Amino acid sequence: MATKKKRTPNVQNDSWVVVAADSVIDTQKPDSDPTFVRLRNPVTDAASLYMLGGGDAQLYEVKAFEEDFHSWFVGQTVQRDGRLLFITPMDPLYLILPYLIKAGKEGKFQPVDQVVMDEEFPGCSRLLSCTRSLASLHHISEEKEVGSLKFHRYSQEKTMNWLQKKVERTVASLKKRNISVGEGVKSTTYVRVKSESDYSEEDYLRYAHGLISEYISEDLSKALLRHLQLPELTSPKETEPPSKKRKLSDKPVEAGEDYTKFNSADFARKPPKKMTAAQKTLAKVDKTGMKPMSSFFSPKVKAEKK
Amino acid sequence: MDLSPFETDNSVSCRLVSQIPDVCKIEDCCLGIDEAGRGPVLGPMVYGICFCPVSKKEELKGLKVADSKTLTEAERENLFQKLDEARNYVGWALQILSPNTISTSMLQRTKYNLNALSHDTAIGLVQYALDSGVQLKEVYVDTVGPAEKYEEKLSQRFPGIDVTVRPKADSLFPIVSAASICAKVARDRVVKGWNFTEDLGEVDTDYGSGYPNDPKTKAWLLKYLDPVFGYPQFVRFSWSTAQTLMDSKAVTVHWDDDDEDGEKAAHRQHNRSMLSYFSASAGGNDQNPNHQTHRFLTERRLKSLDTL
Repeated sequence: MATKKKRTPNVQNDSWVVVAADSVIDTQKPDSDPTFVRLRNPVTDAASLYMLGGGDAQLYEVKAFEEDFHSWFVGQTVQRDGRLLFITPMDPLYLILPYLIKAGKEGKFQPVDQVVMDEEFPGCSRLLSCTRSLASLHHISEEKEVGSLKFHRYSQEKTMNWLQKKVERTVASLKKRNISVGEGVKSTTYVRVKSESDYSEEDYLRYAHGLISEYISEDLSKALLRHLQLPELTSPKETEPPSKKRKLSDKPVEAGEDYTKFNSADFARKPPKKMTAAQKTLAKVDKTGMKPMSSFFSPKVKAEKK
Repeated sequence: MDLSPFETDNSVSCRLVSQIPDVCKIEDCCLGIDEAGRGPVLGPMVYGICFCPVSKKEELKGLKVADSKTLTEAERENLFQKLDEARNYVGWALQILSPNTISTSMLQRTKYNLNALSHDTAIGLVQYALDSGVQLKEVYVDTVGPAEKYEEKLSQRFPGIDVTVRPKADSLFPIVSAASICAKVARDRVVKGWNFTEDLGEVDTDYGSGYPNDPKTKAWLLKYLDPVFGYPQFVRFSWSTAQTLMDSKAVTVHWDDDDEDGEKAAHRQHNRSMLSYFSASAGGNDQNPNHQTHRFLTERRLKSLDTL
């Protein structure tokens, strides 16, 4: 079968296959359904999809498993995208952090609800309703209380310490789950007889740092690397290819291949065995009275020289 | 012939056997191999072997077994009855290859073509006869593919047995005719009483001969084409007739071993066009080209979304 299959672009679905944390549906307030919100992604500075659940009490990130050639059978229907959405809890501080950093450049203490504002993503103010947000702001900022009002100012030092703790926790988690953090490519399904304890602490730190960097800006990521006292990796210098010059020797030079057989008298070029379909149809064409292509290049016929 | 082992699960390959006549375990025997239902797009392919002592060849001729294609269905049933009555010296064994087996073999990732499947089934049946203690000395086969190659393959596989592969063997050797009758009778019965595992309601059984060029068969194929699933397991999906209809009438399904070419396929395989190296920016969706998603996520094929 040689028919070419055309790929039609994915049609928008109105249903998804989702794996979500229990807490997403376990809403304490019955009237508050979890909602998808588009918020500024601290890494790309562009929109990413998040979810707010339980009356904005908890923030979740949305990740999609996507691979070619997958589809779902859902009940009695087929869903063409084999996508699997994961909705997992996320620390809202990661999303608040860029706003604080931006405001921190002014050097003033400010109330957070004035800081976490975004014309492009008005939903960002909802981040402050998350239970953890206000309570954990002190991890990334200095606080001042005036009466009943609280003022905050971004602190790089505090943030670094906070991120370092995140990295350390991630390292612990990586170890617990036996995640391969080495440089070499290893199959995750490959069952090892010996537990691999030969990863160095630095391997784990770098891996965890990389994971945390999925949630912070590039500048912050670099700063964190310095804070963790990990030297920046430079791409290995291109080593010059070994010279291909042959070593000189006193031995007589011999030809690598023997072409002499083509010169022998009985050598005849064999006709090509198979023709393509197109060549076959061409061969069937009635060629009477037609000049071969080569005749146009051969010397003029002598008949003219009379 | 008890077809119940196959009818309980008609999605797989199934072997049906007769009693081994005692005389076959003592005397030198000859064996014939033939198949029924190679060409149809519907129903199973049945491989049959028949064996009897070399000394009883003449008696077999007396039964007037002939090439199954020259006989009517009633005549075949009749002759099978006669073979059954001769069970004190004639034994048989059948391998029913369900249409599903044929489809999945031919369409699997490492393609297993019909000839290879046929050869292996024949070899399996001969091996069965040997394992059951039949004293095989001669084997006669109707050819599948080039006769010499097949003969060589079988001779090598069964040293010490005289293998004869001939086209039209079913009309030349009575033992092959007998095998062909067993196979054909089994196929007719299986097709007639096919249990559709699919929930199709009242199935219209008027599908004609089952051969791709039969207009009745074509009409039936068109009627039972499901846009998502294609056909019931009764149909051989690997037949081009079925494939052509599915390509034109059913939903397109992509498998990761499909041969694809063109720009889109290249894009999916993350091959970059040569031109992209010369343009100022690839203009991708990624707003931050410096950011490389961590391998924890890429290895798990996870990515962020911006919309649903």
